[in-house]
Amino acid sequence: MSAAMNARPEPGPDQAAGARGQIVIKRLSMSFGRGASRVDAVQAVDLTVAPGEFVSIIGPSGCGKSTLLNVVAGFATPSEGQVLLDGAPVTGPGPERGVVFQQYSLFPWMSVRKNVEFGLKMQGVATSRREQTARTLLGLAGLLAFENHYPDQLSGGMKQRVGIVRALATSPQVLLMDEPFGALDAQTRVVMQQILTNMWQKFRLSVLFITHDIEEAIFLSDRVFVMTARPGRIKAELPIPLPRPRTAEMMSSVEFTRILHQLRHLIREESLAAMGHELDAGGLEGFATEVGPAGVQQIV
Amino acid sequence: MSSLPLHLIPSDGRADEPAPPRAASGGMPSASGAPALVAAPAPAMAGPPAVPGPAPDGAAARGVLAAAVQAVRQQAVALILGAWSLGAMVLFWHLATTYRWEFYIRFNNLPTPLEVAQQLGKAMDNTKFIHNVGMSLRRIGIGFAVATVLGVGLGLAIGRYRLLRQLMFPAIEALRPIPAIAWVPISIMLWPDNEVSIVFITFIGAFFPILLNTVAGVQAVDAVLLRAGQCLGAREPQLMWHVVLPGAAPQVFTGLAVGMGVAWVSLIAAEMISGQFGVGYFTWEAYSLISYADIVLGMITIGVLGLGCSWLIRAASRWCLPWLVYSKPGSHA
Repeated sequence: MSAAMNARPEPGPDQAAGARGQIVIKRLSMSFGRGASRVDAVQAVDLTVAPGEFVSIIGPSGCGKSTLLNVVAGFATPSEGQVLLDGAPVTGPGPERGVVFQQYSLFPWMSVRKNVEFGLKMQGVATSRREQTARTLLGLAGLLAFENHYPDQLSGGMKQRVGIVRALATSPQVLLMDEPFGALDAQTRVVMQQILTNMWQKFRLSVLFITHDIEEAIFLSDRVFVMTARPGRIKAELPIPLPRPRTAEMMSSVEFTRILHQLRHLIREESLAAMGHELDAGGLEGFATEVGPAGVQQIV
Repeated sequence: MSSLPLHLIPSDGRADEPAPPRAASGGMPSASGAPALVAAPAPAMAGPPAVPGPAPDGAAARGVLAAAVQAVRQQAVALILGAWSLGAMVLFWHLATTYRWEFYIRFNNLPTPLEVAQQLGKAMDNTKFIHNVGMSLRRIGIGFAVATVLGVGLGLAIGRYRLLRQLMFPAIEALRPIPAIAWVPISIMLWPDNEVSIVFITFIGAFFPILLNTVAGVQAVDAVLLRAGQCLGAREPQLMWHVVLPGAAPQVFTGLAVGMGVAWVSLIAAEMISGQFGVGYFTWEAYSLISYADIVLGMITIGVLGLGCSWLIRAASRWCLPWLVYSKPGSHA
């Protein structure tokens, strides 16, 4: 991780105050319901995102990745533990943490530019200045020609690009992304990943990225965390020592493939464990022969 | 992936309404826009989407033309059929009244269309009729405006805050099923003068549809939009004004349209029962004075005014919610 981080250029004017955007998650647990119906979604998660670092969390579906992100975003209060942003505890949502959602979350009644301006408008920034900022950002995302369109006139990939740009408009220190490309087709996804890394390198912010796509996590991240099946704990932490800037060709490199296999193995164990909880023991018998010892034990 | 639609569009000659222009404006530039950012680090990836075809322009233009021709044709057909249905109705009215048809229903006392038209001419000349129309419009205006302000305001609060909803909804649910006309006697006792009580009846008629639709609209606002607003720094009042209200707006306008209809029903009833002046009063008075042409004139006036008012609401809705044209049913944002 450090190799990749050090390789990046000096902080820009936005971050002149020094390295900011450190996320510290301390012994964080999250459970829903009480008594017998209590569900532990996340259990004792410790995780740190260094300023300017790109960290991904992957895990089987329903492992509490999104819950974890919601706590960091301030939408949910943890049952135990806390989240610190640059040392200050997170108590609610705020513009210093930009969020890009899994679903399209643009305001359908605002033009693309008004959507991007929204955060600045809430801060009371003057019309001409926020218009300028929005147009600059939209230009970077190749969307300036669409500034006056409504979100419903855009394709899925364009909408999500607007979503990213909107989250960046308030110059947040961290960007929280909850499977932002999950609804896009494979080709668009690849382009979007490239756009995101470019944006990230330009703005030098910390990113906490949730995904279930292993290749996406490797391609984008400095470090990847693997979460266990529910209750979600951190199972493994993998630095991604691939050089930056990353290109599509790297995805077929030996190093990439090695990490991919390693992560796939970790995830498969957890996916089977998750399924094993849901199905009765007989339901997965056919699979059991193919799996490693951990999976078999969970099932049979 | 880009070659497939190229062949599909021209062969499918009768491309239907707005699809072709939108496909041309939505899909193409995304292909030319994306690579701008991608170009430097990954030229290889910029390849597939960057194939802008000259072919779809011509095809799209032809599609637009075909769509326009079809739209005009459909409009013409609708116009002809509309004229026909209205014409048939007037013709029936004319025949029934001129020849004084009498089977179980009796048309012998009813005025002919011509008599009503002549009556309209006379009515336009005297200020009494105009004054009556003005009074009704004033009552609708005031009653509906108050109902809109209170209904939308209260609806936003009730829809957003559960505690307030639990506090107010039982009372609202108890009053709601009582039709506005049933309020007439109480209203006369409640308010100091007749004019206010009629406006109150109008208000009652419009209020509940507006309130209930606003509440439903607020509750249907996508939670992810609220979250998006919050994490962009919107505080509660800003969230209410910039996210909740516009998010609920389509349904608020549904409430306004329904409320306008009920307001007219209530107004006419109130004017007939307790009124002085107004189109409802004019119509009822005509009956008392055995001035049959005036009855029908009153009826038609009420219909036209009601139609005009709901047209105003529809126009306001189109003006306030221009984005709604593009939103597909069921999908928000």
